[in-house]
Amino acid sequence: MRKKIKNNMTTENTNKNEITPDMINLVIARLKTVPSNAKLSIGDGTQSLSADSLIEEVKKQSEIGKKVIEAQLFFLRSLQDLPLATA
Amino acid sequence: MMRLLITRPKYESVTNYLYFWSESLVEEAESRNLHPIDLQKDKANRKLVEGYLRKDKADTVIFNGHGNDVCVTGHDEEVLIESGVNSNLLKDKVVYMRACSSGKILGPQSIKDGALAFIGYKELFRFWNDGESTHNPLKDEYAKPFFETSNQVAMSLIKGKTAKESHEDSLKMYKKVISDLLTSKSFNSFVVPELVWNMANQVCLEKK
Repeated sequence: MRKKIKNNMTTENTNKNEITPDMINLVIARLKTVPSNAKLSIGDGTQSLSADSLIEEVKKQSEIGKKVIEAQLFFLRSLQDLPLATA
Repeated sequence: MMRLLITRPKYESVTNYLYFWSESLVEEAESRNLHPIDLQKDKANRKLVEGYLRKDKADTVIFNGHGNDVCVTGHDEEVLIESGVNSNLLKDKVVYMRACSSGKILGPQSIKDGALAFIGYKELFRFWNDGESTHNPLKDEYAKPFFETSNQVAMSLIKGKTAKESHEDSLKMYKKVISDLLTSKSFNSFVVPELVWNMANQVCLEKK
C-alpha cells in the first residue's frame, strides 16, 4: 500500500530556519554517501559540483552551500509526507 | 490541432542535457503530426521566438533553458521572455518553462498578461549528473529521474491534456520515481533530495 503524499509541501520556509552545526554535520554526512563521479548542477551558472566540492561549500556556508543545505533539510523534513511503498 | 513551439538551446553542459532530453518531446509531437516549431541550438533566439509568438504560430510553448525570477533564456543566455517586457507575447498560450525560478515572478506576470496557463519552477531547478555523459546525456542514470519527471509535463501537454492534468501527471511520476528510489537498493538514491526539491517547487498557474 502506498502512502499518499500531502499536497501542501512547500519549500518557502526552508531557508528561514537557522542553520546549526548539527545540521551542517548531517548534510556533510549525507553528501559523503554520494558517488565520487556525481556532480550537482544547481541551476545558476554552468558549473556542476562534486560532493567533495559541495561539502566545502557547505562548510563555508556559501550561497551554493546554503542551497544544498536547504534541499537536504527540506527532504529530511518531508520524509513523513513522501510516498513510500510498503509491503 | 495543437500548434507547438519548443526552444532547446545547446551551448554548454546544462543546455546540452535539456536539448537531448527534449528530443523525445519533438519526436512525440512529430509522431502526432503536430509539426512542432523546433527552435534548437542558435535558433533559440529572441528574434525568432518573438516572431513566431507575434504571428500567433503557437498556442503551446515549451521553453528549455536557463532562467531566473523574471526571465527565461535561449542560445548563449539571450533573454527570450522577460517579465513585463515581452511576457504579453504569452497571451492565450499554455506555457511550460523548464528553467530555474521562472515560476516566481515571470509565471504570475504571464498569467496577468493573459497566458492561459503557466507551469514552471519557483526555485532553482537542480539535477545530478555523472560528469561523464555531457555528450550523451540520455545515458546518464543520475540525471534520468530529473528529466523523465519534468519531461512528463510536456509529454502530457503534447498528448492533449490540460496544463493542470499535465502538472499532476508529472507529480505522479515524481512520486513513483521517489518511492522507487527510496525503497530499493538503487545506486542513485542519493538524488532524491534534489528530486523532492524540484517536485515541491513545480507550480501550475492558470488564468481565472
